[in-house]
Amino acid sequence: MSATQQYLILLGLALGILGAVLSLYGLARSLGATRQEPGKDVPASAGVLSRDPVWGRYHARYYGYALLFLAFDMEMAYMYPWAVVFKEVGLVALLDMGVFLAILFLGLLYGWSQGALRRQ
Amino acid sequence: MTVALVLLTLLVGAWLLAVIEAWLTTGRLRPVAPLLAGLSHLGRESILARKPDRLFFETAPVLLLVVAVLGAAVLPLAPDLVIADLATGALFLNAVLAYVLVSLIMAGWGPNGAYAMVGGWRFLGQLIAYSMLIVMPITATAMRAESLLNSAIVESQAGLWNIVYQPLGFVLFFIAAIALAFRSPFDLPTAPGELAGGVDAEYTGVRLAVLRLARLVMVITLSAATTVFFLGGWQGPLLPPWAWSLIKTLAVAVSMLLVGFYLPRIREADLLGWCWKLGIPLALLNILIVGLLILVVP
Repeated sequence: MSATQQYLILLGLALGILGAVLSLYGLARSLGATRQEPGKDVPASAGVLSRDPVWGRYHARYYGYALLFLAFDMEMAYMYPWAVVFKEVGLVALLDMGVFLAILFLGLLYGWSQGALRRQ
Repeated sequence: MTVALVLLTLLVGAWLLAVIEAWLTTGRLRPVAPLLAGLSHLGRESILARKPDRLFFETAPVLLLVVAVLGAAVLPLAPDLVIADLATGALFLNAVLAYVLVSLIMAGWGPNGAYAMVGGWRFLGQLIAYSMLIVMPITATAMRAESLLNSAIVESQAGLWNIVYQPLGFVLFFIAAIALAFRSPFDLPTAPGELAGGVDAEYTGVRLAVLRLARLVMVITLSAATTVFFLGGWQGPLLPPWAWSLIKTLAVAVSMLLVGFYLPRIREADLLGWCWKLGIPLALLNILIVGLLILVVP
């Protein structure tokens, strides 16, 4: 099976699940509609509506980690092709990635020492 | 045919998991209860919260289900029982699992409710914690297999399963998988008893049924992934390959439940701290050890 065919199958699968869920929704709707009653649609917040929209209220206190995460996530993009050819290339590959990871790890240690790894 | 079999496996697995979970918490074995609960959700009202972001609210449960099934689609349950054995299978699994975050942020943002919102953003912090512990152990298994084909990763474990070859990677992956499926003790985005259900809070009726099904399927998918990457996949004596896959997957899923059953919920700050100060150094050490093993022991 070619790669294109495989991805087409996966796309078909995704669309199939979408269709299944939509038909489930249709079935539920055919069994009875939601009755509109006052106060029913208030989001869970002790029964009263929030004065302001809640969007944008959360303080992401993990932003120190998030910045380090970016660096590590980029590094993973290099690790996959490296992992595949690792055995073939041998010791050179280990040293190459070792140096790269060592620098990245030093970055982690530096961030840690500067207090990036804590809830801000 | 393959598609039908895999989907059936996922559904049966989700059902078994729900039965076992109820058995653990209530002490009663009621095999029909999850089916009845699912059916009863169809007949219930599915309320739309006031002033929602409709697109996000509707997309979240469907997306979570699609993600869980697509993840399972690249995992081989037997040598020829795989929907699509992609050449980049291990990477595809990672890419798909990243959308769990998208789905949960949507579920948190959509209903315009404070608890849901907190739950969604919390999961972003959780992703930053567990994500590296998913990808790094998978990379180490790919190093041994010299391939990102999931079937090749299984075949590379013919002599020795990865759980013995790289136990560190297995432990890290197992913990991270629980966090990814947001099961207890890492159920921060839903946090029953603290966030009033969190991202689940505003979902009712058929939408909630889809969301719950997606969560159960997600656990099965991740257990199957653990089996493929660390427990030798379909390999085993006597029984046919698919039976081994099922047994191992279910065993991993149940052990995930048991871990959550006996541990209290961890705080987000603690989770981040443990993952970055201990988990990631250990994951890098795991890659180093595996690299040395591959070079020294041919």
